[in-house]
Amino acid sequence: MTEDTAKTMVIKKSRTSWVFFVLVAIGVAAFVFGLTSQHPERAWQAYLINFLLWSAIAQGAVLFSAVMHMTNARWSGPLSGLSESFAAFFPISYILFLVLFLGRAHIFPWLHEDLHGKEVWLNIPFLFTRDCIGLLILYIFGFGYLFNALQLKLDPNQPRGKLRQSIFEAWQRNHRNPEEIKRRMTVWGGLYILAFALVLCLIGFDLVMSMDPHWISTLFGAYHFVKAFFIGLGALIILAAIIRLKQGEMSGIKANHFHDIGKLFFGFCLLWADFFYVQLMVIYYGNIPEETHYVIVRTMLAPWNKLAWTVFIVCFVGPFFILLRQGIKTKPVFMMIICSVVIIGIWLEHLLLLGPALSHDAQAIPLSLSDGLISLGFLGLMAFAVGYFLRIFPETTLVKESN
Amino acid sequence: MPRERHIMGLFRDEHQVVSAINALKESSYKFIRVNLPFPSHKIMDALKLKKSWVGWFTLCGGILGFIAGFGLAIYTAIQWNLIVSGKPIVAIIPFVVVGFEATILGAVFGNVLGLLTQTRLPSYRWLRYYDPRCSGEHIGVLAACEARQEDGLKDFFHKQGAEIRVFE
Repeated sequence: MTEDTAKTMVIKKSRTSWVFFVLVAIGVAAFVFGLTSQHPERAWQAYLINFLLWSAIAQGAVLFSAVMHMTNARWSGPLSGLSESFAAFFPISYILFLVLFLGRAHIFPWLHEDLHGKEVWLNIPFLFTRDCIGLLILYIFGFGYLFNALQLKLDPNQPRGKLRQSIFEAWQRNHRNPEEIKRRMTVWGGLYILAFALVLCLIGFDLVMSMDPHWISTLFGAYHFVKAFFIGLGALIILAAIIRLKQGEMSGIKANHFHDIGKLFFGFCLLWADFFYVQLMVIYYGNIPEETHYVIVRTMLAPWNKLAWTVFIVCFVGPFFILLRQGIKTKPVFMMIICSVVIIGIWLEHLLLLGPALSHDAQAIPLSLSDGLISLGFLGLMAFAVGYFLRIFPETTLVKESN
Repeated sequence: MPRERHIMGLFRDEHQVVSAINALKESSYKFIRVNLPFPSHKIMDALKLKKSWVGWFTLCGGILGFIAGFGLAIYTAIQWNLIVSGKPIVAIIPFVVVGFEATILGAVFGNVLGLLTQTRLPSYRWLRYYDPRCSGEHIGVLAACEARQEDGLKDFFHKQGAEIRVFE
C-alpha cells in the first residue's frame, strides 16, 4: 500500500466515523428535546421502538452465523463472518435497555391499571430483573460464540490494538486446536440459538405485548423472534451490499452469495407473514372480545388501519413479488433498497403494535420529524459499532480455502 | 446419407469433463449430452444451457391454483349460505388457508408439467446410448460424428483422458 492510499483510507475512515457521530448527536439531541417538550411519552415511544428494532437486528444477524455453523453450511462464505460484526451492538443494546428504566412511567401504560392478578408478572422490579438477566445471558452466549469464531479467523501477524491484544492473550493462555475450537463454537452457538428464541420471546411479551395487558397471544413471542431473524438478515444483506459496492471483487462476496441469502430473506418474509396470519386466524375464529379488540383497533379503525396496510404491503406483498425474480436477488443495489424498505416497514410495524396503547385516542398516526431523527441516532450507533468491529477485525469477512 | 456414430467418453474427473465439453463445442463433432452421477455446478456452467422455462410453469400453476382455491371456497360457501358465529358467508381470512394450499398444489402441478414438457420426458431415444457406469463413478460425455470421423473422435476422447465406449 502506498503512503497516499493509506492517507486516503485514514481520511475516509475518519470522515465516516464523523458522519456516524453526527447521526448519534442528532438522535440524542432530538430525544432530549422530546423529553423536555409537552409530550415526553412520544420521545420514549420512539426510543422503545428503536431499541426493539436495532437490538433485534443485531441479535438476528449474529444468529445467522450461529445457524450457519450449527448446520455446517458452506454457501454463506464471507457473509457468516460479516454477520458476527453486529455483535458489537450488544453492549450498546444492553445499556439502551437499562436507560428504558428511566422512562418506565411513559412506556408501560399498565402501571396504574388494575391488572386482575397479572401484577405478579407485570411489575417493574420483576420485569426489569428478568429482562436484564435474559439479555445478559443472550449477549454472553453471543460473545462466547464470537470469541471462539474469531480464533479461527484472526491473523496473529496483523497490527494489534488493545482489544485484539487482550483477545490474543486469552487465546494463548488456553491454546486449543481447531477441532476443539469448532466444538466450542457448536456449544456456544447452540446456547445462543436457544437463548435467542427464549429471550426474544420474553422481550416480545414484556415490551410489546404487555402494552395492552388484557390481550394475549401465545404465539406472539415466536412472532417476535422470527421477525428479529428476518430483519437481521435484511441488515446483513445491506452491509454485504455496501462492502461489495465499495470493494468490488476484492470483497469475496459474489452474486451467488446475494442470491442464496436473498432466498433465505424471501423465505423469512413468508414465515413472518405466516406467523402474523396464524395469530390472526385463531383470534378470528375464537371471536373473544379481549382478543379481537387488539386486531380491530390496529387493522380496521382509523388512523391505524392505513398503517396496517402499509406495513403489510411494504413487508410482505412488495418483497414477495419482487423477490420472486432470481435476477433481482443477485444485484446488491436492488437488495439493499428492498431490505432497507423492509426494515423501515418493520419500524412502522412496531409503531402499529405499540402506538395505539401508548397514544390513546390518536386522531392521526403519531409520527413526527423527531421520530425520524431519533431513529437516525440509533442508525448512527449501529453503523458506528459495526464499523468499529470491522476496523478492528478486518479478517472476519475472509473465508479460508479450507472452509 | 451416412449413419452417425455415437461415442461416449467416460471420465472420472469433472475438470476433465469441463475441458472436454469446451473442446467438443469448438470441434466439428456433435456434442450431445452428459450423463453424470451427481450434480456439478462446474459442468452445468460449461454446458451453457439456456434459461429454463420451468419456473414460469410453476408460477402460472401457482396463480391458477390460488384463483381456483379461493374460487372453490367462495363457490361452496355461497351454495349453502350458512352463517357461522356471525362471520360473513364469504370470509376472506379463513379462505386464505384453502387459497394457500391450492397455490402450492397448482405450483407443484405446474412444475411437474413444465419439467415433463421442457425436458421432453419420457425420452426413450437416448436410453440406448447410456452406460451404467454413469450411475457409479464415471461421467459420460456423449458425442456423435460421421462414420469417417469415428477414429478422430476416439482419438479426441483419448487425448482428453477418457475411456471410450462406442455405441453400435
